[in-house]
Amino acid sequence: MMSVKELEGLVERLYWLIRLRCIAVIAVSLTIFLTGHVLDFSLAILPLYSIAITLGVYNLLFFILLKLVKGRETASVINRIANAQISLDLLSLAVLVHFSGGIENPFLFFFIFHMIIASILLKRLASFLQATFAITLFFAVVVLEYNGILSHYCLKEFIVHDQRHNPIYITGISFVFVSTLYIAVYLATSITRRLRQRERALEATNIQLEEKDDVKNEYVLRVTHGIKEHLSAIQGCLEPVAGGITGELNPRQFDLVQRAAHRTAKLMFFVKALLQITRIRLSREIKMEYFLLKDLVSELIGYASSKAVDKNISVSFTIESSIDKIRAAKEYIQETLTNLIVNSIKYTPRNGKIEINIWDKGSLILIEIKDTGIGIPKDEIPKIFDEFYRASNAKEVERDGTGLGLSIAKHVIEMHNGRIWAESELGKGSKFSVELPKRGYREE
Amino acid sequence: MEKVLIIDDDPDMVEAMKVVLESKNYEVHIAKSGEEGLREMRRDKPALIILDVMMETTDKGFDVAREIKWDPQYKDIPILMLTAIKERTGLDFGKEAGDENWLPVDDYCDKPLHPEDLIAKVDHLLKKHNP
Repeated sequence: MMSVKELEGLVERLYWLIRLRCIAVIAVSLTIFLTGHVLDFSLAILPLYSIAITLGVYNLLFFILLKLVKGRETASVINRIANAQISLDLLSLAVLVHFSGGIENPFLFFFIFHMIIASILLKRLASFLQATFAITLFFAVVVLEYNGILSHYCLKEFIVHDQRHNPIYITGISFVFVSTLYIAVYLATSITRRLRQRERALEATNIQLEEKDDVKNEYVLRVTHGIKEHLSAIQGCLEPVAGGITGELNPRQFDLVQRAAHRTAKLMFFVKALLQITRIRLSREIKMEYFLLKDLVSELIGYASSKAVDKNISVSFTIESSIDKIRAAKEYIQETLTNLIVNSIKYTPRNGKIEINIWDKGSLILIEIKDTGIGIPKDEIPKIFDEFYRASNAKEVERDGTGLGLSIAKHVIEMHNGRIWAESELGKGSKFSVELPKRGYREE
Repeated sequence: MEKVLIIDDDPDMVEAMKVVLESKNYEVHIAKSGEEGLREMRRDKPALIILDVMMETTDKGFDVAREIKWDPQYKDIPILMLTAIKERTGLDFGKEAGDENWLPVDDYCDKPLHPEDLIAKVDHLLKKHNP
């Protein structure tokens, strides 16, 4: 009945409780020190410190336990760990209270904190059961001290008369204690219940939105395929004419047919890019394989250099020798990097410089592509990865870009659990950085 | 003159390819459907077949290609398959016959084919199969 997200949230909250308990250990020790040594109350110092130490020890044990079951958590196991932590905390508090005044100890109020924590971590029934356990512990301390079975550690400096035998006092405190705990649990569980309902509704809406997005993408795919089919026929018929295969044309015919063929080719390029990005958005995962990054990039550089030569642009490439094979969707990465490099060449004027560097960052690799190109206006840098977006100064260099290249790149890199970002200075150049996990997934 | 059979239901695409191939002195025959194509193939055996993957129903082209390859008399004819195959993952020329991913063709390419590419592929396939 618990979704994966809810279970993850519960585990997170258990870690939070462990952190809280660390603070509690310190606070308890400080309080014992202050009241016992500084204020010089007559306290049972040794038992009190022992409890603080026990608290710290089982806190550590729970921490280790959570790490041990990591990856194999089930709702029942985590629930049991949560219940165990709370019950042990209640027991510790009860023992602490017993050794420091019993029913006279104002720290009895602190049981409320545990009720709130229980209401956050557990379901309503379990919270009420924990409340009942706390009340049982409370009465155990009171009754056993009353009957002398347990000795009473009176806080002489705090309270004038030993109240442990005062029936009116006992009844009063007990009534308030019991009602406070049950009311606290009721209030807190009501709130968390409502919050959890909201969380579930949001999750359901998210899934719905994802499905709607899929429907939209499938629609785009169908429409685009239809367009591509007709466009193919048009291009197929135009090209033989434009290429002279059907015979010679007069200059006017040739010119117009050339223009038509050229525009058709551009449209086809656009349609193919649209198909590609829509397909990527629909796919939930991609096939990955191991390959040598160095070889892939060297091949790309070879291809790029031939284009760069025309503009007399120098292309340099370094890769840290520690980088070996990486796991990724080879063709997608190849295409993304080609896109980035070709972009750099396109938007770098003659005699420019392009630098490609690959760094080893432990479980990640960092690819940097720097150029001395026209740069990107500062306020447009966050938008360049948006679909169909073209920077204002890009149009002067290339009139009809698709505006899809970078958004395809972003989708591909994000499907690899990587990051891609750009830094740039207008007129000076740009640097595109790609961070990729070596194994295709992020490691902790 | 070597005979090329084009099996494709798009008349415009077919006419464009016919023009290109005839400019290089190939004899071009046309079939608008898989059945018509098989009939034409048996009537007058071609040196090469150009086959569209999507006719009427998706992947009909694969069925036609398999039928051709399973026929001992015609399995040696090289087949050039048209249309976007890259979308279907797992298809690999190297796979063995009988594997459901077996691609029963000798080469494939995306539509539209630029005239130079069409000529190049046809020339290459014919040279490979009739040395």
